[in-house]
Amino acid sequence: MLTIENVSKRFRSGNFGVRDLSLEVKSGVIGLLGPNGAGKTTLMQMIATITRPTSGRILFRGVDVVKWPNELRKRLGYLPQDFGVYDNLTAREFLCYFAALKGVRSKTRVSEMLESVNLHGVADRAVGGFSGGMKQRLGIAQALINDPDLVIVDEPTAGLDPEERVRFRNVLSEIGFGKLVILSTHIVSDVESIATEIAVMKEGRLLSLTTPEEMLRTCAGNVWEAVVTSEQFEQLRTSLKISGAVRKPDGVHLRFVGPAAALAARPAEPELEDAFLYLMNFAAA
Amino acid sequence: MGSFARIGAIVGADFRIRFRRVSTVVIFLLLGAMAYAWIPAPASGRALIQINGHRALNTSGAVGLGTASIGMIFVGLFGFYVISNAIRRDIATRCGSVAASTPMRSFEYLLGKFIGNLAFLVTFLAGFMLSSMAMLLVRGEGAFQPLVFIEQYLLLTPAAIVFVSAAAVLFESIPWLAGKFGDVVYFFLWAAVTGLVVGNEASHGRTSWARCFDFTGFGFMIEQMQQMLHTDSVAIGSSPFDPTKAPIFFPGLTMTRGWILPRLASVCFPLLFLPLALLFFHRFDPVRTRRTAEKSSRNWIGQVQSLGKPLSRRMVSLLGKRTDFDSLGSAIWSDAILTFTLSPLSLLAWLVVTIAALIAPLRDLLPIVFAVLAIVLADVATRDARSGTMNSLCAISRLRENYVWWKLGSICLLSLLFCAVTILRTIPAGGFALLGLLGGIFFVAAIATALGIATSNSKTFIVVFLSFWYLVVNDRGAHALWDFAGFYGRAQVSTVTGYLLLSVVAICFAQIFYRTRLSRN
Repeated sequence: MLTIENVSKRFRSGNFGVRDLSLEVKSGVIGLLGPNGAGKTTLMQMIATITRPTSGRILFRGVDVVKWPNELRKRLGYLPQDFGVYDNLTAREFLCYFAALKGVRSKTRVSEMLESVNLHGVADRAVGGFSGGMKQRLGIAQALINDPDLVIVDEPTAGLDPEERVRFRNVLSEIGFGKLVILSTHIVSDVESIATEIAVMKEGRLLSLTTPEEMLRTCAGNVWEAVVTSEQFEQLRTSLKISGAVRKPDGVHLRFVGPAAALAARPAEPELEDAFLYLMNFAAA
Repeated sequence: MGSFARIGAIVGADFRIRFRRVSTVVIFLLLGAMAYAWIPAPASGRALIQINGHRALNTSGAVGLGTASIGMIFVGLFGFYVISNAIRRDIATRCGSVAASTPMRSFEYLLGKFIGNLAFLVTFLAGFMLSSMAMLLVRGEGAFQPLVFIEQYLLLTPAAIVFVSAAAVLFESIPWLAGKFGDVVYFFLWAAVTGLVVGNEASHGRTSWARCFDFTGFGFMIEQMQQMLHTDSVAIGSSPFDPTKAPIFFPGLTMTRGWILPRLASVCFPLLFLPLALLFFHRFDPVRTRRTAEKSSRNWIGQVQSLGKPLSRRMVSLLGKRTDFDSLGSAIWSDAILTFTLSPLSLLAWLVVTIAALIAPLRDLLPIVFAVLAIVLADVATRDARSGTMNSLCAISRLRENYVWWKLGSICLLSLLFCAVTILRTIPAGGFALLGLLGGIFFVAAIATALGIATSNSKTFIVVFLSFWYLVVNDRGAHALWDFAGFYGRAQVSTVTGYLLLSVVAICFAQIFYRTRLSRN
């Protein structure tokens, strides 16, 4: 469905946002993971035809969208990072506006979308008074209003409380079969339950594109648990790649990735958070 | 669904967004007040139009012309600053990025924004026209002729509306004109265009092509009034008249054959701004939008800023060493020198102004110093709200309570730095001249503080002050009232006292506004 061939984005400063990245994905939910500054947003902006790559090709269903962006725009839903709203419009007016820009004529569709994101009760209220979560749900509603084949959502859960994050995840997972959803985040738990594939980026490059199960396998045997004293913890925290630490009466319960350290550590069952940390720090090795 | 639906959606959304703002409601309430003030009762000793000391009777033609010309000034000057935020709003909310990812074409977007601007300004002027008509019913002299009244608006204002609407789209599409620099450029563009057509008509239309650029309608109005009244001495606005002279019947302007093409051309020419805007339009590409452009050094302002950074850092670090950061005074000092850190261009401006002040005649230099100062000061009281650091600053106890004093102090300090040499050179002229200059500096600082805190928008102060400055400079000391800083040595005790009182009112307003906002939060 979506093919990216040797795409690079170089800024005028000379820095690369994305560097020689290639991938091919079909339908499903693709989680795009990476630390801040990894190039996730730049990649998504290029796919969403907001900015052009410096080199390389992006093909959607065989059509080069860099040359023919409108072919994708007709089938695209996009929710950018830090999405804002027009405070003085009502939720219905806001959706009608984007529906018109996307060529959607049906008023029923607007009502359906408001219902699907659970905003039908406040459809005629000004969106300026909405909470962050409600605004994000309105954002996803505008992204889905044209029943797109490709949905791009960039850091959609940033700033949301845990309940809203779960609700947002559920909305994304219900988008439907046969569509491609690309969800970028640096929070692993956002994608672990809904992603069919996970792409990991670092410094503009693609480190891996694999299923969550395969990603877990890459770090099998490299995840450890140990109980250490507070003093030991202070010494170890800079030398180990720690994915979790909980203070308990018997000491600090550590969870870390990498080669076994010279301390009494026992192997642990890998989780996606561990796998991500492992890829970030030991992938090259 | 085609282009028309998309353009219609953009226009509709813009219209709703603008007309649901509290500020728009305030503007429309002010329109009624303005009409009341501009059309005085004859018994008050003032007239809307005064010709060679004669009062023009309040007929439909005279009141229509008078109010249309005033409305056109408001649209031409202030209208730009009110509407030139439509694309910027889409960048800030990221709604523009979403729009750019739809099949919407760039020309549809720009045309939608242009028509949205047009719709707002037409509604604004229609509101002003209706409230003026209502005043005509109250204070009119003679038969009420609505068509004659409307004709005055149709003859004068369409070109100004189209010009401002298209210029706003063009300025917002060009990254280096989309900010404060563009606001200043527009002011001088407007003043230059007005000067060109007025100068041309004052010389009896020697340059015929200049009439095609009569966006303000002033040229047409001056020529018509010269033809009808055989005089150049006409005052529009609430002006005093000589009650011993008989009132004049002024029928209003009518279109003449020679003006049909120039008036049409002045409506159509600004439309050329739109294809030009399309050439520059970034379509919300983050690499091309201003946010990124500001960080890069590709435009000349950015290049100057980049070149000046090492110098400003060095200077700021030298100045910063002398602060202890515990008192309000040191906070004022830090905020003042932060201006130079944020904008090395302001440091360059300070150097140029200081060197020029050593050699140039004071009378010529002072207006320029104040114009530069206004541009530098405009950011100081607005930057905290715009950058989202207000809450952090309000967490610091002495700043939370003394925010207005802090900003006023910082602005005063910057003003004194900019005017240091001019102040020293004014001392030999006597204590009163020095007092006038210091009073003027304080007035500018107080207004910059009040408007900055109230609106969080630097362009409010820029447009208000530059408009005032334009009047002062054009008056050239003819009236003591306008000589607020003693530019022309005409300031009197009443002038200095008046501006000091205004400054105090502005500071009180800023305090009340800030305290109210603080208590709400």
